[in-house]
Amino acid sequence: MSNEIVKASRSGSDKPDGPQVDPVVFTPPIDIFETPEGLVLLADLPGVTLETLELQVQDNKLTLYGKVIPDIPSDTRLIHQEYAVGHFLRSFILSDEVDHERITAKLNQGVLEVVLPQLRKSEPRRIQVTTE
Amino acid sequence: MPVFRWGQAWDPFRDLEREVDRLLASVSLSFSGIRFGREYPPVNVYETDDGLLLTAELPGTRPEDLEVLVADGVLTLRGRRTGADGVPDDRYRRQERLRGNWQRSLTLPERIEEDRMSAEFTNGVLKVRLPKAPATTPRQIPVSDGNV
Repeated sequence: MSNEIVKASRSGSDKPDGPQVDPVVFTPPIDIFETPEGLVLLADLPGVTLETLELQVQDNKLTLYGKVIPDIPSDTRLIHQEYAVGHFLRSFILSDEVDHERITAKLNQGVLEVVLPQLRKSEPRRIQVTTE
Repeated sequence: MPVFRWGQAWDPFRDLEREVDRLLASVSLSFSGIRFGREYPPVNVYETDDGLLLTAELPGTRPEDLEVLVADGVLTLRGRRTGADGVPDDRYRRQERLRGNWQRSLTLPERIEEDRMSAEFTNGVLKVRLPKAPATTPRQIPVSDGNV
């Protein structure tokens, strides 16, 4: 049996319902690595703050949606552009081995780190057999 | 039954070549072309009334790993991003984020007052403010009559 816990899927179409939907939405690059406790997911979300990041788990789907509100003064003129600024959206299918209740996340310098702990194996329960 | 058909359709190498061409064509289409053949990091430059503002996305870079230098009208950005500490490569299920050392130099289009330059790094976005040097007043050079 494979121990696939997270199946990453690129999805740019099913965005969560937001009041303001920007047409420019990027798929952020991610890393996923294994630890003894489970999996860790890292996503590059430059410009996203705690206030503009939405991270949700619904059923077995983990969705991250980071909005980028550029804080460039309005009286500036763009004279040279090499990258476009937009929001970030990506979703992942979690396997049943992820303990949804214990998922934690932190955001540091534009990188989101999501810790996906593995479900603790339940202890085998001994059933006492008695004779009459 | 013709031995040689028009276009030698039986030639397996031709088929192979065509197949490889087709595969390569589909591969190059699948790249968006954003990262390939471009310098890293991509920067945007804005002009303000009193100078230039340069921005670059460098998520996950530690401020101490980031260097911004100006010398002789050339701005140099230098930095590095390492992988997660103590995680061997075979633990990775997926690796899409760039890592490594990088350096980029940009020739500034205008004279910059280097003493008043400033840079800030928040939420993985670097902003470098480059104030323009005050315009110098043109100096009149007296022309003397060389015939005298």
